[in-house]
Amino acid sequence: MANAPAWAAELRQTATANLDRLPVLTGEEEDWRFTPPSDLGLAGVAPADGTAVAVDLAATAGPRAATLAFTDGTPSVPHGADLPAGVIVAELGQALIDHEDLVRSRLYSLIGFDDRPGALNAATWEAGTFIYIPRGVTLALPTETLLSATGARGRVSARTLIIVEAGAKATIIDRYRSGNLADPVAVSTATEIIVAEGGELEHLSLIEWGAGVRHHARITASAGKDARVRSVVVTLGGDVVRVEATHIAAGSGSDSRALGLFFADDHQHFEHRVVARHEAPQSYSNLLYKGALKDQSHTVFFGNLVVPPGAPGTDAYQTNRNLVLNEGARADTIPFLEIETAEVKCSHAGAVGRVDDEHLFYLRSRGIPEETAKRLIVIGFLQEVLAHVELEEVRRDLEHAVARKLA
Amino acid sequence: MDAPILQIKSLEVAVDGRTILKGVDLEVPQGEIHALMGPNGSGKSTLAYALAGHPRYEITGGSVIFDGQDLLDMAIDERAKAGFFLAMQYPVEVPGVSVLNFLRTSLIALHGEELSPREFMKLFQEKSKLLEFDASFTDRYLNEGFSGGEKKRHEILQMAMIEPRFAVLDETDSGLDVDALKVVSNGVNSLRGPNFGALIITHYTRILQHITPDVVHVMFEGKVVRTGGPELADELEAGGYAQYGSPEPAVAPSA
Ligand SMILES: Nc1ncnc2c1ncn2[C@@H]1O[C@H](COP(=O)(O)OP(=O)(O)OP(=O)(O)O)[C@@H](O)[C@H]1O
Ligand SMILES: [Mg+2]
Repeated sequence: MANAPAWAAELRQTATANLDRLPVLTGEEEDWRFTPPSDLGLAGVAPADGTAVAVDLAATAGPRAATLAFTDGTPSVPHGADLPAGVIVAELGQALIDHEDLVRSRLYSLIGFDDRPGALNAATWEAGTFIYIPRGVTLALPTETLLSATGARGRVSARTLIIVEAGAKATIIDRYRSGNLADPVAVSTATEIIVAEGGELEHLSLIEWGAGVRHHARITASAGKDARVRSVVVTLGGDVVRVEATHIAAGSGSDSRALGLFFADDHQHFEHRVVARHEAPQSYSNLLYKGALKDQSHTVFFGNLVVPPGAPGTDAYQTNRNLVLNEGARADTIPFLEIETAEVKCSHAGAVGRVDDEHLFYLRSRGIPEETAKRLIVIGFLQEVLAHVELEEVRRDLEHAVARKLA
Repeated sequence: MDAPILQIKSLEVAVDGRTILKGVDLEVPQGEIHALMGPNGSGKSTLAYALAGHPRYEITGGSVIFDGQDLLDMAIDERAKAGFFLAMQYPVEVPGVSVLNFLRTSLIALHGEELSPREFMKLFQEKSKLLEFDASFTDRYLNEGFSGGEKKRHEILQMAMIEPRFAVLDETDSGLDVDALKVVSNGVNSLRGPNFGALIITHYTRILQHITPDVVHVMFEGKVVRTGGPELADELEAGGYAQYGSPEPAVAPSA
């Protein structure tokens, strides 16, 4: 972000001042007791710059309306085929200058810098993605942003702002990738998503880091009146990953679906904190996260349904199920409710289980060897989420990635 | 008489430390179909699961020779590879695993990779037709949301595709309507021959009118207490198990 306009520079100064002022996270805080902030580079010094390991960018991507790529925070030129009139897919730093009218009022509106991780991102982001879909426009093909790290930079901070105007429609993919790095990298990302009245968005976050990466990801999506927002978070890679996904039902009649799939192995540590906040009446949210774990991995799911006063007719569901494949792996699930409105329909459920012996027996009784049977059962368990990934090539990639973890 | 495909000697089985089978002796020569009848809780399913290798059923004594091999020594999937099949009384639902993927994985495991996708589909279509199994089920998940009768039909479809050397049918007839019973019986009869044997566990003679058994065994309190010809089934249906000490006769199906 070289030549930021004055207004943006000022905001960054405030964020930087906050960063100096706010107490350092210790891990004693209630919100932080499962993932030490220092493991994410949120406390103490960031990892030093190191040796670059090339990224394997061989993503089998299907056709895209536009693509952006960032390596260690440095953007390459965005690619866009014939985008419909008014659609913008741009580097965010450049958009501060080129699209101040669209960006200024919304940037930092959902993810501010009043807390330390927020301030850290706001004070340090170097580049990012800005996507704007104007009123009534349907973007038929998805856009894809690839954020990669090589280890050459110890800290990588990026930001995304997505605006889907009234009645507009889009599918947006954020992919995170690296090779297995020799030197650790701390990544901070903040993704703000605003879907206006009657807009429709499908947003995918595909976290596929190699070893060495610690990633703190914040994704906040606000759904306006009658808007439909679907987010899919897939966490497969990285040493320590913490995803904070917040869905705000800002308008009545909005429909938010939060789907999540994670598979941790080796010593991976993933924490997902997913919140549905119903600020308007008669809105719907449905949250389904499924996770599998093996080896010595540890995952945490914290889900919260927040219904402040004044949101009658809220219809909200939250489910997290985990499948632990061996002793030594641990899944924690903490479902939470904060309901201050009467006349709401809310349910939450969290479960941690093992492969069902009866399922295993049934498959094996048909000649299927134990390992193959387990693989079928795990993929079957995750299928409930995978089946909702509408882009076929992405779904197939994910199925393969899951199968590789099981091999 | 051919050499027995299944030879059970003094088999003792415990579940959660409680002995259920108390010395079962039973022999089925290859190519024959036998019926196994007995009151609720007498241990019929326990025998079926123990033969299939279910881990909950602990073998505490006796032996089972299957096609000349020690069946009890084999892993669950090895038993299937040796030609043993169990059509279960209560098939479980396995979420997220599609019927087609399951069947293909099973057949590849049993017959090796040479089964091409095209051959597989041909076999599947042929057998689905035989068993009037709705093709739209293929994308559905294993037994999930299947009606009781559909689950049973699906068990027999699997059997027809796998073509085992020997099958135990645990109350496959229960819960089937008249037409389904005929279809399922046809499926079993289509396999009947010198290379296929079966043990049909049932409470009723209904299925035995379609599949005439060579021999009928009676199980009572964890033992085979009587073995006879097909007429034994009629006798049991009329008189129940009172003569063996059972308090009440088997009830005819209401359907
Ligand atoms: N998995 C199990 N856990 C606990 N008890 C069991 C289990 N399986 C069998 N039993 C017990 O063993 C006894 C025999 O049961 P089994 O299911 O073999 O009877 P069955 O002859 O098949 O009866 P039915 O005609 O009702 O199907 C019963 O008392 C049953 O409760
Ligand atoms: Mg039974």
